[in-house]
Amino acid sequence: MTLQNCLILAFLLFAIGIWGLLRRRHLIGMLISIEIMLNAANINFIAFSYFSAKDSTAGALFSLFAIAVTACEMAIALAIIVTMYRRHHSLDVNQLRDLHD
Amino acid sequence: MNAFLIPDLLLLLTPFLVIAIRIFTRNSKPAFIFANLSFLVIFVFLNRLVLGDEPHIFFSTWKVDRFGVLMREILILGAFLGVWFAKDYFDHRADHKSKLTQMAEYIAALMFATFGGFAVLSATELLTLFLGLEIATVPMYALTAWNKTDPNGSEAGTKFILMGSVATAFELFGLSYLYGFAGTLELSLIADAVAQNMHSPLLWISVLFLICGIGFKLTLFPFYTWAPDVYDGAPTPTTAVLSVTSKLVAVIFLMVLIFGPFAAIHSELIPFLSLLAAITLFVGNLGALKQNRLRRFMAYSSISQAGYILIALIGPESLARGAVAYYFVVYTIANYLAFFIFGVIGRNRSETFESLRGLSKQSPVLAVALAVAAFSLAGIPPLAGFLGKFFLFYSAAEAKGYALILFAVLNNVIALYYYIQLIKAAWVDEPETEPEPLAITLRQKVVIIVLMIGTLTIGVLPFLNTNIFRIVG
Repeated sequence: MTLQNCLILAFLLFAIGIWGLLRRRHLIGMLISIEIMLNAANINFIAFSYFSAKDSTAGALFSLFAIAVTACEMAIALAIIVTMYRRHHSLDVNQLRDLHD
Repeated sequence: MNAFLIPDLLLLLTPFLVIAIRIFTRNSKPAFIFANLSFLVIFVFLNRLVLGDEPHIFFSTWKVDRFGVLMREILILGAFLGVWFAKDYFDHRADHKSKLTQMAEYIAALMFATFGGFAVLSATELLTLFLGLEIATVPMYALTAWNKTDPNGSEAGTKFILMGSVATAFELFGLSYLYGFAGTLELSLIADAVAQNMHSPLLWISVLFLICGIGFKLTLFPFYTWAPDVYDGAPTPTTAVLSVTSKLVAVIFLMVLIFGPFAAIHSELIPFLSLLAAITLFVGNLGALKQNRLRRFMAYSSISQAGYILIALIGPESLARGAVAYYFVVYTIANYLAFFIFGVIGRNRSETFESLRGLSKQSPVLAVALAVAAFSLAGIPPLAGFLGKFFLFYSAAEAKGYALILFAVLNNVIALYYYIQLIKAAWVDEPETEPEPLAITLRQKVVIIVLMIGTLTIGVLPFLNTNIFRIVG
C-alpha cells in the first residue's frame, strides 16, 4: 500500500465516474457517477494526509466536510428529481428537451 | 475587539430569523420587511467598519480586509435588489407562469447564498474557500427549481444540479491535489510551496482541475453550455440572482486562488486566462445574436460579461481588484435595471422581444430606462458601463495584454449590435396587435428610477471610482 497505489485508485474512480456520467441516461445512475467522482477526491485527501502531508489532520477533516457537503447536494438533487418524476413519470435524461435554442 | 465580525454574524443569523418569523405570522409580509431591515442594518455596519491596511483575522481562519468589505457591500446590494425584484413574482402571475410561493424561504435561501460569498471572501485556507463556494451554490439549485408547477423550472434545476455537482467534483479533485502538493490547507503556506516548486506536475494538474471546476460556475468556454438553459428555465428573479450574486462569488473564488496560492505562477497562467476570456466573450456575443426570449438573451449577455471580467484578472492584483469591484457595482445596477423592466413587461405578456414592441409609446420612461441599461451593459460613454470596461482593459494593459484588449474591443461591436436589438424592439418595431396595458407597482417605479439615475451618474461621479481604487489598492 503506497501513496502511488492510492492515487491511481482515486484517478481510476474519477475516470469511471466521468465515463458513467457520459454513458448513463438515467438520472439516478448519473447521480451515482457524480458520487463516485466526489469520493475519488476524498480518497485523494485521505491518502495524502496519511502518507505525505505535513498537516495531516487537515486533509482528513476536509474529507469529512466534503462528505457532508455532498450529502446536502444529493438531498437537493433528489428533491428536484422527484419534481421531475412527477411531471414526466420517467427518469430518462433524454426527455430534458423543452429548453433549447 | 472582534467588531469586524458583526456583519457576517448578522447575515448568518438573519435567514433563520426570517424563517422563524414566517412560522409565527400569517403571511410572508413581516418576513419581507424584516429581511429588508436586516439588509439595511448589515449594510450600515459594513459601512461603519474602520479597517487599516492590515487585514483583521479571527482565529487564523476568517479574514476581513478592505477589499472584502467592499465586495460584501456589493453582495448585499445584489441580494437586496434580488429580494425586491422577487417580491412581484410572489404577488402575481408573470410570464404566463403561476406565481411563486413561500417567499420567506426564498429570501432565506438567497441570504445563505450571500453568506457563502462572504465566506469565500474571508477564506484563509482551502476548507473555508470550498465550503463558502458550496454554501453559495447549493441554495441556487433550490432557487432554480422553486416553481414546482413549471416543468421548465424542474428541467432547469435538474440540468443545473447535474452540471454543478460535476463542477464540484472537479474542484474537490483539484483541491485534493493542491493539498497533496503543499501538504497544508493554509493559503499563505501553499503560496510559499508554489513559489519554491513552480513546475511540479501535481501543481499543474491541480490548476487544470480547478480551472475546469470554476469554469463551470463562471460560465467560461467550453463549460458554459448549461447557462442558457438554466437561465431560461429558472424563475426570472432567480435568473437575476444567478447572473449577479452567483457570478460574483465565482469571480471572487478565482481571484482568491490566482492572487493567493497561485500568485507565483500568475504570469504563466496569463496565456490560459487570456484564451479563455477571448473565446468566452466571443461565444457569448455570438450566442446572444439570435435569441428571442429575454432571459436566454440575458444568459448569453452574462456569459460574455464573464469573459470581459476575466480580462481584468490578467493584470496585477491591486488593479484587478479595483476593476472587478467597480465593474460589479456597475454591472449589478445595470443588470437589475434591465431585469426590473423585463419584470414589468412580463407581468401580462411573455418575456420575449415581441413583448417589448410599442414600449416607447406605452411608457416612454420605461423605454428610456431600457435604453440606459442596454447602453451601459454594452459600454457606451458616458454611462457607467463604459468606465467599468475601461478599468478592466486598463488592468489588462498593465500586463501588456494588448492583443486581448483589441479583440475584446472589436467584440464590443457585436455586443453593441445585440444590445441595440433591445432598444430597436422597444423604440422602432410596431406591435402587430394592440399591446396589453402595462401594470407597474410603486416599488418597481422607485427602483427603476433610482437604478436609472445610478447608471447615468456613477460613470461621471469621479469620487466613486477613485474611492474604490483607494480602498482596494
